[in-house]
Amino acid sequence: MRRAGYGVLVALVLAGALVAGACGSRAPVGRKVIVLGFDGLDYDLTRQMIAAGRLPGFARLAATGGFSSLGTTIPPQSPVAWSTFITGLDPGGHGIFDFVHRDPKTMLPYLSTTRTEPGGRTLGVGRWQVPLSSGRVESLRHGQPFWEVLESRGVPTTIIRMPANFPPSGTATRELSGMGTPDLTGTYGTFAFYTSEPYAYVGQSLSGGVVHAVKVRDGQVRASLEGPDNPFLKKPEKVRAEFTAQLDQANRHVKITVGTDELLLAVGEWSDWVPVSFSLAPTQSIGGEVRFYLKGLDPFFELYASPVNIDPMDPAMPVSHPGDYAAELAEATGRFYTQGMPEDTKGLKTGVLTEAEFLAQARLAADENRRQYRYVLDRFSDGLLFYYFGNVDQVSHMMWRARDPNHPAYNAVTDSPNASVVDELYRGLDAIVSDTLATLGPDDLLVVMSDHGFTSWRRAFHMNSWLRDHGYLALIDPNRRDDPGFFGNVDWSRTRAYAVGLNGLYVNLKGRERDGIVEPAAREALVSEIAAKLLGTMDPATGSAAITKMYRREEVFHLAGNEDVAPDLVVGYAKGTRGSDESALGGLPLDVFMDNTSAWSGDHCMDHETVPGILLASRPLRRQAPTIEDLAAAVLAEFGIDGFPGNAGERRAKEH
Amino acid sequence: MATFPDRALAWVNGALTAAFDAALGPLMGWPPVASLLVVSLVTAVVMLLVVARTSNQKGLATTKRGIHAALFEIRLFGDDPVNVLRALGEVVMCNAHYLRLSLVPLLWMAIPLVLVVAQLQGFYGYEGLTPGVPAIVKVELRQTASSADVSADALVMDAPDGIRIDTAAVRLLGSNEVLWRIVPNAEGTYALTIRDGDRAVTKSLQVSASRARRSPRRLQAGLAGQVLYPSEPLVPEESRIAAITVMYPEPGLEVLGWRAHWMIVYGLLSMACALILARRFGVTI
Repeated sequence: MRRAGYGVLVALVLAGALVAGACGSRAPVGRKVIVLGFDGLDYDLTRQMIAAGRLPGFARLAATGGFSSLGTTIPPQSPVAWSTFITGLDPGGHGIFDFVHRDPKTMLPYLSTTRTEPGGRTLGVGRWQVPLSSGRVESLRHGQPFWEVLESRGVPTTIIRMPANFPPSGTATRELSGMGTPDLTGTYGTFAFYTSEPYAYVGQSLSGGVVHAVKVRDGQVRASLEGPDNPFLKKPEKVRAEFTAQLDQANRHVKITVGTDELLLAVGEWSDWVPVSFSLAPTQSIGGEVRFYLKGLDPFFELYASPVNIDPMDPAMPVSHPGDYAAELAEATGRFYTQGMPEDTKGLKTGVLTEAEFLAQARLAADENRRQYRYVLDRFSDGLLFYYFGNVDQVSHMMWRARDPNHPAYNAVTDSPNASVVDELYRGLDAIVSDTLATLGPDDLLVVMSDHGFTSWRRAFHMNSWLRDHGYLALIDPNRRDDPGFFGNVDWSRTRAYAVGLNGLYVNLKGRERDGIVEPAAREALVSEIAAKLLGTMDPATGSAAITKMYRREEVFHLAGNEDVAPDLVVGYAKGTRGSDESALGGLPLDVFMDNTSAWSGDHCMDHETVPGILLASRPLRRQAPTIEDLAAAVLAEFGIDGFPGNAGERRAKEH
Repeated sequence: MATFPDRALAWVNGALTAAFDAALGPLMGWPPVASLLVVSLVTAVVMLLVVARTSNQKGLATTKRGIHAALFEIRLFGDDPVNVLRALGEVVMCNAHYLRLSLVPLLWMAIPLVLVVAQLQGFYGYEGLTPGVPAIVKVELRQTASSADVSADALVMDAPDGIRIDTAAVRLLGSNEVLWRIVPNAEGTYALTIRDGDRAVTKSLQVSASRARRSPRRLQAGLAGQVLYPSEPLVPEESRIAAITVMYPEPGLEVLGWRAHWMIVYGLLSMACALILARRFGVTI
């Protein structure tokens, strides 16, 4: 009797498992659609290299499926363009208008794609507190991701490193977040630099990095890595993880000890990923990972530590869906940068990394990405795979100067060796295309696209300084004409317009802005007046127009509930000119124009018509996609799905 | 200089190592949890035999009955605070008595169990090195020597084909350590040789994803070190080398999607087996 009972139980369990398996499984679609997202691949350069026979994989695609430019968004910025690709909506629909938005209630800038909220109520004991609810990370992108439609029709989707998709939407079969994913401290990457040179970076405020002065005692350096604020402390205090570096001057090596991990590092060498545990409270810790680079030992100890990345083996914030998918990838192909933009452009911009060191670091990030792509591709058999590569974009930003002898910061001696760096990266992507083509069956499709192009950034335009000089923006202290940032010297009671972000210009509107003074009825006239003046602005150095297009938001956006976020005007800078970093964060330098002498020498945040992306496919698409806004619908059409984006009325209203 | 206990423990370790290699070697192709279940079953049987021989079974049974009676009393007379408090006191007293009775077999088992766990650690505690992934080999010199005493070419590491030595010998100021970074090129079992003048000491190295005995440290005489790292013979006394360490990863075991230290899995499986088999062995635990 007991045996019979066991038999029934086993049969029931097996039957249950079968039913559950059947419910969870989906009919196979029977073919693969692969979309490779190559951030920042320029149409003109790609065309030239194909014509020169230097991109055979791309050329094969061009021959079989066609090659065209892909219209980008207004403004042509990555988070804006990728959000448009994801949702099929213009920025008015998805609500991402720039890298940076401003809060009209505080007039302070914030990063546009994600909001992080700490836990709510806490229970306090002395200097400690126990959070009673956990914090929250929220995507600020609106609209339905196109893969959600595929999933609802039974098509499995794998979406890897899609920009502006942090935290992952949770609606694809598998997702890994990409651009927009912060490091463990919540920034878009803050490196640390440990140096015994007492005068290094004295008085400098490094954007994107922290310099730690250390001392070598008995051949040893003791220092700590900085994590996020400890949520268990009432008074905000960063958590730290101690490490030691023991020096062997003769052999130019150090032994670094972090927790229980030990590693040897030679001068000029990058470490592999080192897991780091930050202790928050007894029994509570948070995990991260870091890469070290030993820059020098003699005469000074110089050690670079990458931003502490979210550990994919035990993520402190959601970076994948399902939650353990990041760990699966890390176990299969090694730990990897979870930070959205892994190439340390800030390290190079601040001078902590040289160009060669930056390129070596960018190569590490690219290699990780390629290894991971191979793993994902080998396991992809059905449905849609989107995979993003951002290396060309980030390196182009830093190295474009080397291919432009007319750039104001061009140095023939130091730049000419790097003249072909970007071309070589294009060739690397071409190899990926060729490898992918080799995996396709007769019914499969490969689409290669980029979100925008690239060009040289030679002249910087301080929009807020221009507004000041033309009487639209007033200063609290007129004797001090500059402002270091965040509108610290701006008199809002007399300011009619201001700029935030790289392309956005806002009216200080009554009822919308905290200290708005412009009556809604006067807004239209003011916008027209400013647009006309800006279009007539000539760059004294070049004698050419600095701005070629000004877009009123009503003309280009279908504002679906994002009116308070949208800029009143979007600035289309002339090719070669871009809004300055200072102005983007509410700074007002003395002059309006300046030569761009920063290492960040290439860009695309200009008139969108001058920097289109690219579109190639292994066969002609069933539905045309002249712009990035049309591309998701074209991908869905390959699966026989029409009517995306879902809200047809909204779409029609926009088209009118 | 090795003392008698050192030499005796070295002999015991040698015998145990041979026995465990012979017993566990054939099981290493199995999934680790399955082979650990077999080990746990054997452990449980031995534990039950020891408990049967060394414990006061009658006393244990009486004490357990006392605990049950007191718990029953608490349930029955829940509305009588005085009786409940008295019964609670009885539970505490009986528990203390039970622990005292359990202590005897525990003491009998403690030393053998430590030796067994140390042996099992070699099989279940570490993962092998991976081809292409660097690892560190660390030599610790005896306290009498220091890295400053070691001339540049005094300490040399030789690696067989299949292992690339990636760095020169790194000597750290103020430390008795000399380190190398190696990169395995191919799977296999290797022997690294550390030469110090005309003396040489070898260290085993496992490069493989499959489960096998792995020894992270080879040491000179010392009771604690020998207990923890029994898998290799002692470093000769006359050597200046105190220990050679290869840093193997220690990822733990995956059980039903959860990763746990193998000792936790072993402990739980052994307890479960012992509870299931206790009645068959006529043992009260």
